[in-house]
Amino acid sequence: MAQTRSFNPYTENGGTILAISGQDFSVIAGDTRQSEGYSIQTRYAPKVFRLTDRAVLAVNGFAADGNMFVKKVKQRLEWYKHAHSKDMPLKAIARLIQTMLYAKRFFPYYVYNILGGIEEDGTGAVYSFDPVGSYEREACRAAGAAQSLVQPFLDNQIYFKNQVAAPGTTHPAHLPLPDVLSIVIDSFTSATERHIEVGDGLEVYIVLAKGRDLQDFEAIRARNVHLTQELTVTEDGERIFVMRLDLKKD
Amino acid sequence: MFLTRSEYDRGVNTFSPEGRLFQGDSFIAFTNRVSVEYAIEAIKLGSTTVGIRTSAGVVLGVEQRVQSPLLESSSIEKIMEIDRHLGCAMSGLTADARTMIDHARVTSQNHAFTYDEKIKVESVTQAVCDLALRFGESVHDEDAMMSRPFGVALLIAGVDEKGPQLFHTDPSGTFTRYEAKAIGSGSEAAQSELQDKWHSQLSLKDAQIIALRVLKQVMEEKLDHHNVQIAQVTPANGFEVLDQTQLKEIIDQM
Repeated sequence: MAQTRSFNPYTENGGTILAISGQDFSVIAGDTRQSEGYSIQTRYAPKVFRLTDRAVLAVNGFAADGNMFVKKVKQRLEWYKHAHSKDMPLKAIARLIQTMLYAKRFFPYYVYNILGGIEEDGTGAVYSFDPVGSYEREACRAAGAAQSLVQPFLDNQIYFKNQVAAPGTTHPAHLPLPDVLSIVIDSFTSATERHIEVGDGLEVYIVLAKGRDLQDFEAIRARNVHLTQELTVTEDGERIFVMRLDLKKD
Repeated sequence: MFLTRSEYDRGVNTFSPEGRLFQGDSFIAFTNRVSVEYAIEAIKLGSTTVGIRTSAGVVLGVEQRVQSPLLESSSIEKIMEIDRHLGCAMSGLTADARTMIDHARVTSQNHAFTYDEKIKVESVTQAVCDLALRFGESVHDEDAMMSRPFGVALLIAGVDEKGPQLFHTDPSGTFTRYEAKAIGSGSEAAQSELQDKWHSQLSLKDAQIIALRVLKQVMEEKLDHHNVQIAQVTPANGFEVLDQTQLKEIIDQM
């Protein structure tokens, strides 16, 4: 009997990522479980990475490709900094990611990318990519194993799809940070309940524009002191925080 | 001509006690070692070119020597566009500048393609200067290099996130940022005139007039709208070469 053999270079490692932008902040989150089939390879494999003082990248799909891709993006950011003596702006990183992904159009990085951060004009931004580089700036995006569970929830809660505003009122264009954080955490606890590849831990990166009033965030931070770590404070005031929360491990 | 070789002529990259850098070992390289310095001298034979930076934009001005009444002065091109936000004026062997400006244009387009942003004036200047020292003899399977250095100096004007800027490049690959700079045959007189006239409150109009006045002083022929060219780079309109009507207007105001 004829046997067919094939080389299969890709694996799907599960997990989910999510990002939401606000008026003057951006939140980028991902769970930390890495799995292959029914097995968990590790309960702590970060999928979200700080790139610059105002940009954070989440990568989901084939973990090996994802890690390599982040490494290469970071290298390009370093080169750019040396060539142009400044950090690469968010929209430039978005375009760079497109060119890097499309350069491998016929042997793609098997990953979905979501880039979040602060634009040059101080607004919060989220860019989402497909594996070959098609990209778009959006207010929110979920990707990965539980995309089909989370994105409809975000469409409803962020874009107010299927909701009718009370007479004489309109839906807000941007939600406040505490509301966004609650939506992010709820998204992941729910995805953990219903999807076997999501769970273990949650990392939430919070990028705040310079000069932003910190009152609302300080309240949340005070309630989660041991969970929240400040990663960056720039001279001109941009700040990145990461909150590490537990998700169910079953 | 260069037959008085000293012990410092040997070695590919050797500094002499006076701190001068010599390159090469062969007779060709032996002549090349000083050719960068001679190339810089060659610029001083070129037509006078001035650049003036103001907070409203950068003005470039060149003298176009019309050697014959039969020559079409409009065919002398000494100011060129690199990108919408970048312009360039030259003095010296202008044919050499084409290679450099070609490189600058490609670099600028590639930057816009890859990063979705305008390249900085300093970055494009650096890219042009990276070409400057690729002359001499190539080593084994290396790409063939140029036989001699570029014989041209450039004034690169542009507007980026840091505002209007003016850079000067020479054949050694050195670049420097200036508020106002003159290159070419009349550069010494022109530069001291610029030093007198430049101040930080100059308007674009002031800069245009000063550019023409400086050129007028160092030109042998009488200045008119046929033998000078003015270009400017502004935040609003980017690079533009002034047409003859605009030029006449400024000449009238001088």
